[in-house]
Amino acid sequence: MGPTPPRVDPGHLVGLVRRAQAADPMARSDLLELLIPSVRRWCGPIALEEDADATQETLIAVLRTLHQLREPAALFGWVRTIAVREAIRVAKQRPRPAELTELPTPGDPQLIVDVQDVLTRLSPEHRAILMLRDLEGLSEHHAAELLAVPVGTVKSRLARARRSFAKEWKT
Amino acid sequence: MTEPRWPVAEFDPVRRLRVIAATTPGATIHERVLDAPLAAVWAVAADLEGELPFWLFPDVRSVRLTTTAAERSVAHVVGYSGLRARFDVVLQPGWCLMQSRFLLGGMAATPEDGSTRFAFLGSFRGPLRLLTPLTRPLNGPTGRRALTRFAHRVEQHRY
Repeated sequence: MGPTPPRVDPGHLVGLVRRAQAADPMARSDLLELLIPSVRRWCGPIALEEDADATQETLIAVLRTLHQLREPAALFGWVRTIAVREAIRVAKQRPRPAELTELPTPGDPQLIVDVQDVLTRLSPEHRAILMLRDLEGLSEHHAAELLAVPVGTVKSRLARARRSFAKEWKT
Repeated sequence: MTEPRWPVAEFDPVRRLRVIAATTPGATIHERVLDAPLAAVWAVAADLEGELPFWLFPDVRSVRLTTTAAERSVAHVVGYSGLRARFDVVLQPGWCLMQSRFLLGGMAATPEDGSTRFAFLGSFRGPLRLLTPLTRPLNGPTGRRALTRFAHRVEQHRY
């Protein structure tokens, strides 16, 4: 399942990516403008206070490796993978204690009331899974693939979620 | 049912210009925090025809803009040395990028603690990129002088 890109004409997107790959600065600037809203949405929940650094590092990594993107239509999925990787990396440079070891289930009332508070109590990897599942609507299989971890790891992080999260929340 | 309010990352035009600088070979970016509100700073920065000749480089004699589309223009720049260049320009609030066959220029501004962080970028393009190693020692002083001239223009317009 690919991310939902902003409404952009597919033909325009192909042309824009090709010109950006040819190192046309104007095209690169236009491409950044197109990508920035999505990258901010992906990096915010994972990087928290390091959000701006994570967004900047993501966009630098995107432009530096843009020549590797063979299929322009896959742009947003490709950028999302980079954003998650960079946001986790940047967040880990300033580690904070993770109080929660399990994730809340989708629709958990506490998640709706204050997702920011829940995020601050999770590790960067857990925040990434939560964002991919609840914000992006990815399956466990796809989230595991994107994070390059076994699907069992994602499942175990999600499995006992509600009971564990509710317990932690109440204490 | 209420939806969770997920945090969205902060990101400003100066950081966007840093991305361009970090991924453009030979590009140099200069930044300074100016004691003026964003509106006052950007009023000077965005006035390409009226202000660029006063602060960017001493050789710039005139800039003439022709609007081609929303936020898009073509700038014809003439230098005292006789140099003429045609730039494609994108001009948005807090953001400007100018590109000719041989040069790339950019400006960005964002509020910072009651002041404004202003940044500008310069780079050679095409065959002139070969000049980059030769001009690198001059980039620092040249950029600082341009920023000083720019700060003076902002002050002059405020008072």
